[in-house]
Amino acid sequence: MPQVFPKSMNPISRIMLLSLPVIAASTGVALAAFFRSDYTTGRNEIVDQPIPFSHLHHVSELGIDCRYCHTAVETSAHAGIPPTKTCMNCHQQVWNGADLLDPLRKSYAIDQPIAWTKVHNTPHYTYFNHSIHVSKGVGCVSCHERIDQMPLVKQSKTLLMEWCLDCHRNPEKNLRPKSEVFNLGWTPKDGTVDNDGEVFATGGTQAEMGRHLKEKYHVRDDKTLTNCSICHR
Amino acid sequence: MALDFDANAGPTGAGSPPDQFQSLEQVFGSPEFERMMKDEFPEDAAEWLDPVSRRRFLALSGASVALAAAAGCNPSLKPASQKKIIPYVKKPEQITPGIPLFYPTAVTLGGVALGVIVKCVEGRPIKVEGNPAHPGSLGSTDIFAQATLLDVYDPDRSKGITEKGSPSTWEKARLALTGIVSSQISKKGAGLRIVTESVADKTTLANLIGELKARLPDLKWIQYEAVGKENAIQGVREAYGKYLTPVFDFKLADTVVAIEADLLSEGVQGVRYSRDAMHRRKVRVHDAKRRNDGVSPEQLSRIYAIESSVSGIGGVADHRLPLKPSELESFVRLLAKEVGVADVPAAGPLSDRAKLYAHEIAVDLKNKDKVGVVVVGGALSVAAQNLMHAINDAIGAVAKGAVKFVEPVQAGLTGAGADATADGTGSLKVLVEELQAGKVDALLVLGGNPAFTAPADLNFAAAMQKATVSVHLGLHADETASHATWHINAAHELEAWGDARGHDGTATVQQPLVSFHGGKSSIEVVAALLDKPGSPESLVQDTWRKFHADQKVAVDFDKFWHTSVERGVIEGTAAKPAAIKAGDAKLSDATKKAAAPATKDGEIELSFRPDPTIHDGRFANNGWLQELPKPISLICWDNAALVSAATAERLKCEVSFKWTAGEHGQSEVDKIEITVDGRKVRVPVWVLPGQADDVITLFFGYGREKVGEVGKAGSGFNVYPIRSTKNLWTVGGIKPQPDSAERTQEKYILACTQGQHAMEGRRPARHGTKDQALAELDIENHGDHKHYHVKHHKDAFSFADNPPASAAEKDLMRALLPGTPKEREWLASDDHPQKFNKSKGPNALGYVNNAAHDEEEDDKKDGEKKDEHKHEHDKRLMPLTLIQDHASNKLYRRWAMAIDLGACIGCNACAVACVAENNIPVLGKKEVTKGRIMHWIRIDRYFSVPHEVGGTKKMDVKERAEAIAKATADVSIHFQPVPCQQCEKAPCELVCPVAATAHSADGLNDMAYNRCVGTRYCANNCPYKVRRFNFVQYANYDKESTLQLVNNPEVTMRTRGVMEKCTYCVQRIRTAEIEAEREHDNPNRRKVKTPTGIRPLIEEGEIKTACQTACPGNAISFGDLNYDQYIPVKKVGEKWEPTGKHLPFSEVSRWKLEPSNYGLLAELNTMPRTSYLAAIKNPNPKLLADAGKGGHG
Repeated sequence: MPQVFPKSMNPISRIMLLSLPVIAASTGVALAAFFRSDYTTGRNEIVDQPIPFSHLHHVSELGIDCRYCHTAVETSAHAGIPPTKTCMNCHQQVWNGADLLDPLRKSYAIDQPIAWTKVHNTPHYTYFNHSIHVSKGVGCVSCHERIDQMPLVKQSKTLLMEWCLDCHRNPEKNLRPKSEVFNLGWTPKDGTVDNDGEVFATGGTQAEMGRHLKEKYHVRDDKTLTNCSICHR
Repeated sequence: MALDFDANAGPTGAGSPPDQFQSLEQVFGSPEFERMMKDEFPEDAAEWLDPVSRRRFLALSGASVALAAAAGCNPSLKPASQKKIIPYVKKPEQITPGIPLFYPTAVTLGGVALGVIVKCVEGRPIKVEGNPAHPGSLGSTDIFAQATLLDVYDPDRSKGITEKGSPSTWEKARLALTGIVSSQISKKGAGLRIVTESVADKTTLANLIGELKARLPDLKWIQYEAVGKENAIQGVREAYGKYLTPVFDFKLADTVVAIEADLLSEGVQGVRYSRDAMHRRKVRVHDAKRRNDGVSPEQLSRIYAIESSVSGIGGVADHRLPLKPSELESFVRLLAKEVGVADVPAAGPLSDRAKLYAHEIAVDLKNKDKVGVVVVGGALSVAAQNLMHAINDAIGAVAKGAVKFVEPVQAGLTGAGADATADGTGSLKVLVEELQAGKVDALLVLGGNPAFTAPADLNFAAAMQKATVSVHLGLHADETASHATWHINAAHELEAWGDARGHDGTATVQQPLVSFHGGKSSIEVVAALLDKPGSPESLVQDTWRKFHADQKVAVDFDKFWHTSVERGVIEGTAAKPAAIKAGDAKLSDATKKAAAPATKDGEIELSFRPDPTIHDGRFANNGWLQELPKPISLICWDNAALVSAATAERLKCEVSFKWTAGEHGQSEVDKIEITVDGRKVRVPVWVLPGQADDVITLFFGYGREKVGEVGKAGSGFNVYPIRSTKNLWTVGGIKPQPDSAERTQEKYILACTQGQHAMEGRRPARHGTKDQALAELDIENHGDHKHYHVKHHKDAFSFADNPPASAAEKDLMRALLPGTPKEREWLASDDHPQKFNKSKGPNALGYVNNAAHDEEEDDKKDGEKKDEHKHEHDKRLMPLTLIQDHASNKLYRRWAMAIDLGACIGCNACAVACVAENNIPVLGKKEVTKGRIMHWIRIDRYFSVPHEVGGTKKMDVKERAEAIAKATADVSIHFQPVPCQQCEKAPCELVCPVAATAHSADGLNDMAYNRCVGTRYCANNCPYKVRRFNFVQYANYDKESTLQLVNNPEVTMRTRGVMEKCTYCVQRIRTAEIEAEREHDNPNRRKVKTPTGIRPLIEEGEIKTACQTACPGNAISFGDLNYDQYIPVKKVGEKWEPTGKHLPFSEVSRWKLEPSNYGLLAELNTMPRTSYLAAIKNPNPKLLADAGKGGHG
């Protein structure tokens, strides 16, 4: 019986055999990359909203504090989406005829809330709490990046568990003085004054600042912060 | 040592039946049971339900699988645009999304209120807790208060008003109501009848009906309850000549005699009574007095239960005597005679054993140094009630304050018509006669369901239609609604303004927390009759404005109102004590002449009891209560005729016992047909050890016809047809077949959980006696108080000690207890904890090293004593383990639980509280019969018998089992709540292939549901059988379903294929931690120095688990074992300076230091973080000698 494959196939089969691990590895890498891709995580995706609200305009240009609208961020798990009334505080006076704000006025008039689309979406079995992060000196910018410069809000981090754990293992990287939590443009520098009056002189780097603040704000250790039940209940 | 009483002979060897057993099948060691013990899951457990029943199940729980797809492994996959955020238009000022609000209010049952605090999240009530300020609750609840919440969201609730079955409006109904009154004015209301359930006096509803009565003097108001208290109410009048409400103080009672009275779980007052009575059952060797937590061994009370079936009080009692209902009547008479009451009517025949009991109990009661109380259940005759009051007076219970009398709390018990009010069933009978005679123009049924619950001979449903117009107000379109002209959908108690009074008369304002379907309250309906303007709120306010004026309350009304609503208790409303002196109790002529109870040998007696979980049938559509195992029988979704083994034999029912265990929740049983006065019912038979011979106990409330989906599923059997006005509670003269109780050829499948989750016979529920405990204690007298030490420097009583197999690990466990051995001993001493200097040496905060540190000290002080109680920790004795050492955690908080078995009454309040808190799904009967019940905490109920019955004699297994089965009278009952034990060395963690269950730093056995892949290895490896698996999609994800709204947003909904279990209410722990951590700068939050630095302190009692708060007996303690290691500090300038010495021991630490503390199955070296305190019983030595003589005569 003649050979099925000619001898010339030998190198090809050898190459194929040798490349198997490479293929397997690259499949793994590709899957891992896909898992982390913007497509999968929804990062950088702009979603349609009933009103194209601009944080850039309201925060950077008008200088409205985060907490004017997100009132519960220091006390509750949820930062809170402002009720129509909050918008109307100003928009009864300014831009009160703009077409863009039609849904807002309608909501107020017929007492029906505006249904915003969620941008930062944590799974239902994950219990993220805004208040504890803010009170331990984790700034808004750590998760929301420069939301003050976004005309339309997008999710700028992956929100994957590894991303959460990265900070829960090393919170130093993301700690800032409580006085600067809501200041998205702040960078570590000496001379920053904390709420209690402390003037920081730690050398101006995040690493040193973080170590100092971790102690000052009594941030719990990584062993505690990485317990399953810290986030999953 | 008098220990015939129990079964503490040590672990049984293989092959011999266990000392403690959950079912007779276990005693028999049947092959089915053995197989079940080996397999955690039944063979078909993983199958998907067949399509038909699956659809049925979905209908049941109102669920749909609509959402399941999105919440897969990585729900972050394209998350945006999937979910919406809906903010408020105008945010209510007090609501912040994510922060719950707590409203005090009250829930009622049988006209008695229980003060509760309801947790509301974004406007929806999600959890009921007891109100600590309310004297009836003191922070605890019963099962009904917990589960009534589900009724609010019941999708089968009546949603609108109907007239003759067609939809109508409130405006039209209102017109009809005012029309009734105007047409009655000329007749002075002679044609108007109002039927309500019990209503408390001086409440808005009572006042409004009073107002109506002033306008229409001839109208009649009937207060009818199927679980009526007629006999109890009339018994007081017989004894004292007027209607009064007795209030018991079981905290004072050294001897409690409960005769057919489940005083711990019957009625709302049972919550308070449990707290008081169980206080006297919790033995605390270490300084009970100072902390008001339990009592010293000498103060232990003694409880006798004389009953026909087995109740909660029978479970905790030191002596149980099962008697037939007619014998119980005789027993009361004999007891009265024994304690010296004059003119006692003649008793019927009683066994020698009963006579001995009556004599010995009387001796106990007559003891001048002790306080005795006798309670006779409402099912016994008026004469028995009268005798009870005479006994209590004779033995000084009234003089010593253990029984107090207050002005009647129920409305209508003063002035004219009091007698009619007192006899609710009698009045209902008169009403039916009047209806039949055509004397009633308008019948208003405001609450209750008399068409279903009225005694069968009245035929209320048919009579109702004789009224020209009838109006029914109710939560459901039930049996009564279907016979009424008008049906008005009622507002649930949590939806309406109202007021109600507790067992001692304390009033509470009820406030609306949510509103569905625009239901009306009774107050609104009566106000409509009166054509009274004003909102229900203002009507309730008016009631209390008048009270405010009458009482001349110092503060202005607004402030008074706000404080009252805020506290959930209105100050100064407790009913006034009646002018009763010791010696006032008399026997009425009727009592003196009462005929002797007719006890006939060989005749079976029926006993009717309200169902333990669905009550008189009103909770039939409540899934939480339907699926809750009945406290003693552990049957869910059904009722059954409870009989003893001997009676079952007489009825020719199957007594081969292969079915009684309910292995995997399923039992096939015989059905019998019972005939009373020509009316027949067919019920399944259930053999219950401890049941009196020749008694069939029937629970009424099941078999509803007009009921929602859930009620239909748990059909049960209607026994009301054989309950008549003359046989309200008992029927005598039933002859076994082929006569009035006959076995049928039918079989029936019951869902019963008793054989599920059985742990092999290793003495799981430990118990000892007071004498045994005292014999093992060295007692030092220090004037007014005593110090107790366990002899020979041991840590534990012999009955609570762990077997030698785990000796080395036991040492480690002891070492892990808070404090050093020295400190623990000192705990009993006079010094205040704060004085003890713990900060010596570098390892002062450590645990394991403390032992060494302590030995050094010992060397110095008393070297010679050292040898016997201190031995080296021999590392070689420690079992090899793969598990990390979480145990010697000295860095973090160590959450722990201790459960006092002595105070557990088996009421299941913990289980239903857990269901509410942790979103535990309701499965339906079919799933339960497959052994899949999901409750995270279960109450195991064990029976045990004296050794004489089946331990010491040489018998083969079958003989012994039969002897046990027949030893009805000698069975004692032990309850043991079993949640996850949070093992330090958790067997489940090792076998999880994906690390979905792992230890947290503070010692919780965390369960990450989203990580679970459903291998079920963990459950297989769990010796406590506390893990529950979602075989199908049990959780309700249907966003349209109102049932969705009852869920706790703080707890993940578990999907199909996921394992779940108790984690000490971790959501509460984490929420409290976040709150504390956030408050670092808050000066009101104490700071403490811990090994991990300065931390805000979570105060003792700040976190309470759901089961702990619900527990009426206060049998569960939860807290931080490291609490005493913290040193309080204060910030002085830049530095934290200590403000004192260590904090005292936390409550849970103190409980764990008791010598009765033991770990469940600790011999398996799992080192459970949850521990149990062995029940310490207080048997009467004179009756002990009698135990074990076998069945009663």
